Amino acid sequence: MTSQMIFLVFFGGAAVWFGVTVFRTHSMVRSALALLFSQTAVGLMFLVMQAEFLGVLQIMMMATEMSVMAIFMVMFMMDPGGMGAMDMTHQKRLSLWAGGVGLGAAMAVIWLADWGPPGGNLPETAEQTAELGRELLGRSMFIFQSVGLTILTAMVSATMVAIAPAKEQPK
Amino acid sequence: MTILIVLLSLAVGAYLIAVLESWAVHGRLQPARPAISALALLGRESLLARTPDRLLFETGPVLLLVAGLLAVAVIPLAPGLIITDMATGALFLNAALAYVLVALIMAGWGPNGAYGMIGGWRFLGQFVAYAMLIVMPITAVVLRAESLSTVDIVTSQSSLWNIAYQPLGFALFVAAAMGLCWLPPLDLPTAPGDLAGGVEAEYTGVRFAVLRLARMVIILALAGATVTFYLGGWLGPWLPDWAWSGIKILIVAGLMVSAGRLVPRVRETRYLELSWKLGIPLALGNIFLVGVIVLVVPI
Amino acid sequence: MIGARQGTMTMLQRLVAAAMSRDIRGFVVPGADVARAAGLDLGGAGLHLSATPRHANVLVIIAPLPAGLADAASVAYGQMPRPRAILALGSGDLGPLPDADATGPLTQAGLVTAMEDLRWVIATGSFRSDVDDYEAPTLQTRTEYTCPMHPEVVQDEPGNCPKCGMTLVLRKAAVSSHAGHAMPEKERDMPVETRVETTSAGHDHANDKGNKHGGAHDHGHAKHAVSEPLVQYTCPMHSEVISAEPGSCPKCGMFLVPADTKSEHAGHDARHGHTKHAADESPARYTCPMHPEVVQDEPGNCPKCGMTLVPVEEAVENSGHDHGAASQGHDNGSKSSHQGSHASHGNDVVIEGIEAHFMSMTDLTRDMPASEDGLKMEWIGVPFGPFFPGLPSGLRLDLTLDGDAVAGTSADSAVGLSELLHEDTTTPAAFVDQLAALSPLSPVAYSLLACLALEQAAEQSVPSSVARARIAAAERERLTSHFGWLAGFGTQAGFTWLEKRATALQLKLRVAPVIEIAALAPKITALLTRIQRTPLLKARLKGIGRLAGDDALPGPVARAGGIARDARSDDPIYTELGFTVLTATDGDALARLTQRCGEIFQSLELILKVGAIAMPEPHGIGTASGTGEAVVETPRGAARLSLTLHNGKVTAANIETPTAAHVDLIATVADGRELGDALTGIGSLDMSPWEVTA
Repeated sequence: MTSQMIFLVFFGGAAVWFGVTVFRTHSMVRSALALLFSQTAVGLMFLVMQAEFLGVLQIMMMATEMSVMAIFMVMFMMDPGGMGAMDMTHQKRLSLWAGGVGLGAAMAVIWLADWGPPGGNLPETAEQTAELGRELLGRSMFIFQSVGLTILTAMVSATMVAIAPAKEQPK
Repeated sequence: MTILIVLLSLAVGAYLIAVLESWAVHGRLQPARPAISALALLGRESLLARTPDRLLFETGPVLLLVAGLLAVAVIPLAPGLIITDMATGALFLNAALAYVLVALIMAGWGPNGAYGMIGGWRFLGQFVAYAMLIVMPITAVVLRAESLSTVDIVTSQSSLWNIAYQPLGFALFVAAAMGLCWLPPLDLPTAPGDLAGGVEAEYTGVRFAVLRLARMVIILALAGATVTFYLGGWLGPWLPDWAWSGIKILIVAGLMVSAGRLVPRVRETRYLELSWKLGIPLALGNIFLVGVIVLVVPI
Repeated sequence: MIGARQGTMTMLQRLVAAAMSRDIRGFVVPGADVARAAGLDLGGAGLHLSATPRHANVLVIIAPLPAGLADAASVAYGQMPRPRAILALGSGDLGPLPDADATGPLTQAGLVTAMEDLRWVIATGSFRSDVDDYEAPTLQTRTEYTCPMHPEVVQDEPGNCPKCGMTLVLRKAAVSSHAGHAMPEKERDMPVETRVETTSAGHDHANDKGNKHGGAHDHGHAKHAVSEPLVQYTCPMHSEVISAEPGSCPKCGMFLVPADTKSEHAGHDARHGHTKHAADESPARYTCPMHPEVVQDEPGNCPKCGMTLVPVEEAVENSGHDHGAASQGHDNGSKSSHQGSHASHGNDVVIEGIEAHFMSMTDLTRDMPASEDGLKMEWIGVPFGPFFPGLPSGLRLDLTLDGDAVAGTSADSAVGLSELLHEDTTTPAAFVDQLAALSPLSPVAYSLLACLALEQAAEQSVPSSVARARIAAAERERLTSHFGWLAGFGTQAGFTWLEKRATALQLKLRVAPVIEIAALAPKITALLTRIQRTPLLKARLKGIGRLAGDDALPGPVARAGGIARDARSDDPIYTELGFTVLTATDGDALARLTQRCGEIFQSLELILKVGAIAMPEPHGIGTASGTGEAVVETPRGAARLSLTLHNGKVTAANIETPTAAHVDLIATVADGRELGDALTGIGSLDMSPWEVTA
């Protein structure tokens, strides 16, 4: 139990530290990778909390997703390497407020919610995974399927929008 | 103890594959070549490129090595001879190998050279081309085993190896595995003819040695995964379990390493086109087919 | 030999040095194609070729080193990790490079002996402590002083300008004339592990990180900066930032651009130009470059986004303006300019609390140039060559890359003769040698060309048997050259098997007598059949580098596109031998491969039909005078030579080679293609950058 707590705190700290690094660096690539490792640390927290499937999934998905984000930042942003120490922040005041409110809300939920008694015996990992599958393909199937389709539609339409119509394309 | 044995066999395997790779490139079988090359690399100075992103430059090769070692951790060499038999082993293998991508991006970006950068981003561009074809065939394998554990996956093949049960999945997986460890003809991130070494171009000395070692480990991890998922892992008559694993892994890795010299490098656009338009539908079809077989014909 | 580590040899060092002496990785200058054409079997001598100088420990130089490559070779040498050595084959000046550690004649035997010497040098000298550091002279900078008003005043000492008495200002300049490649001073005494290495110019490696920013436009600026010290640099966004040195803006990080106004003292008088206007008219008002609605009387930061406010008129100037203006200036080898993106904020609907176009991709990419796929992103300039492994050696290619698609090309030859005739009167034999030296890749064809022109000028003719034997020699060279191209294609495409086989055949056939060629015929046939059947080959080459049939195409490139143009068809001896022009139809890289394979068969047939090979030698020129003109179909296309003979000496000569046509084709073949395809297309032209005269 104690070692579990120590690891949890360690990875939690790592997640926060990487999260802060995202905004502390001038390099777009470093920023994206810091976000990546922040999310990896969250995945490791899942693992520490014995949610193996979710943890591994988080670690896997975030590696690729954040890398994809990094390439977009490099493609389109000025000074992606941060060599010019360019200030990339916008709307500082608004974001400070939004961040503060968000933090407050999260804290409020954490401290005010009735979490109930600690869960008893955890099921085996294999059993957890099976239960997750039953949940996803049972009760929550409709939600996940519709969300999945929506995302797919959004991706296809985004691609369509991004491609210039044939008549506008430079010859 | 298990860890030591696995690491030792990894070292032996990596050496043998290095011998084979040098044969594929230089056309002569020289058993001492990898040892000489490694020693020579240690003797050369390890240069820093001009104005590098030092952090990423240093981390890239190490992260690559770590990713490879983590992937190896879930490959069973014999019953009980596995570093960790995770209940989500097949997924964990994917998660570890996802960091190959991250490491290559870092190694490509870090040295501040155009060739490396293009190589790294190229690898990301191919991401869907190989990653989907790793994940989807594994899904079909897992479907049959009804478990994500690699040990269970091996035992599920005791009556019939998956290479016969789902040959389509095997073909797709091997092709994607070669893409993932950037072996010719899919060596687009390093592509000596296009990018003069690409991601590897700026690494010298010890750092380069780490990069090469990590690459060997990843090749072995993927060969191990192929054997585990499709060739019945340690299963086989007469010989001891570990021997079967070893032989199979070396043969698969050997084929993967040496096949590329006989064909020209695949064009990037062609590779993407094939993977997206042909590979992904085939992989989905494979999942469907295996699902039907699992339900209808009990083997 | 330049050692890496200090101190005497320990056991371990001895072991490592022994390993290094057996692991020779060579970087060949000018290139593997020239080595093969010279008959060197590098692999057979135990030399592994590496694609980049970073992975090499021996610089293999095939002398004489052309003047145009000397700088690039010294940069490549500088990029090699120590311990490193130089192996020079043949004789000639190595230019700025240190002395060779091992030398030998330009033969296979010479190479093998030199390799042995080299191994010994490496095994014993790797850890020598008494080594000198090496810096490529083209990358060195020197400090000089110049007058801000009179750029022509340049001296090594500080002082006052003799013209106007102003204090001279310091600047750094490249020692050589490579204006755009001025490098910051190198730190010499850093520990080996962290030695900052110089990259750029010669081999490759555009340095770009901060300036991964678009645009092949306007390369002139960097050069401008060096030649005209008066230029000051300013930020396109913050005109109050003025700097005497190029660099980046301390406020926003954009690259500083040369300011067009020249103030009297660097660093003085920050306000200039239109800013002064604003100050004259009214008390200065300040506004945010991002939020035009924010206007205040005091300088400060924007309450909405925190950016530094700028004087009003400038903001007006800035909004709706393209800042793209080329932010060159930062001359560290990478050629790029930044296309501004903060455009036209003035006339947009402003929603309170939300920035107009916040994170809008359309807005960010508005002024970026778009490539053919319509996607706009940052462009980078990447130099390839002159030693790039996938390109003909000696070709200097600068590609502007849009992602990894080619958005622009500029190519030229870094090699070639400075003049065709060294002196006004050249003897015929010397002239033939001179022309053969023009092209290390196909010397025989050019010797033949010289002989034919000389003989025509002298109104001589050779006996039919000699003429036929000469043709056989030219055809043997064509066959060898095509195998050389196949080997080069193997290197470029990572098709190792083909590279090995084609190299082996090229080396065997290069000087083989007819009987040996006949014996090798089945092998040749087998190889060519196997090539046609290679899986993935069609997919790699089909549709790449397609060239429409027109008059400018040279040699096999034209014939692969279905144009039956071949200088050989006008030659009666060829007609006698039953020669017909071979063509293919598609005009793409695959057709060129098929075409060259077909021509190999054809040449083989012709050689066997003739049955004897004789190298072309000038025949009976004596002291004749006259003019002559000849055309020979070299392996790469028709070359035309006209010369004037006066009393048995060549007094004037003029040559047309296919090289210029090839260089012109590069843009057509590469533009808009993916990088790999562009290089395959360029490679499929089989160009030789050598056959040019300045």
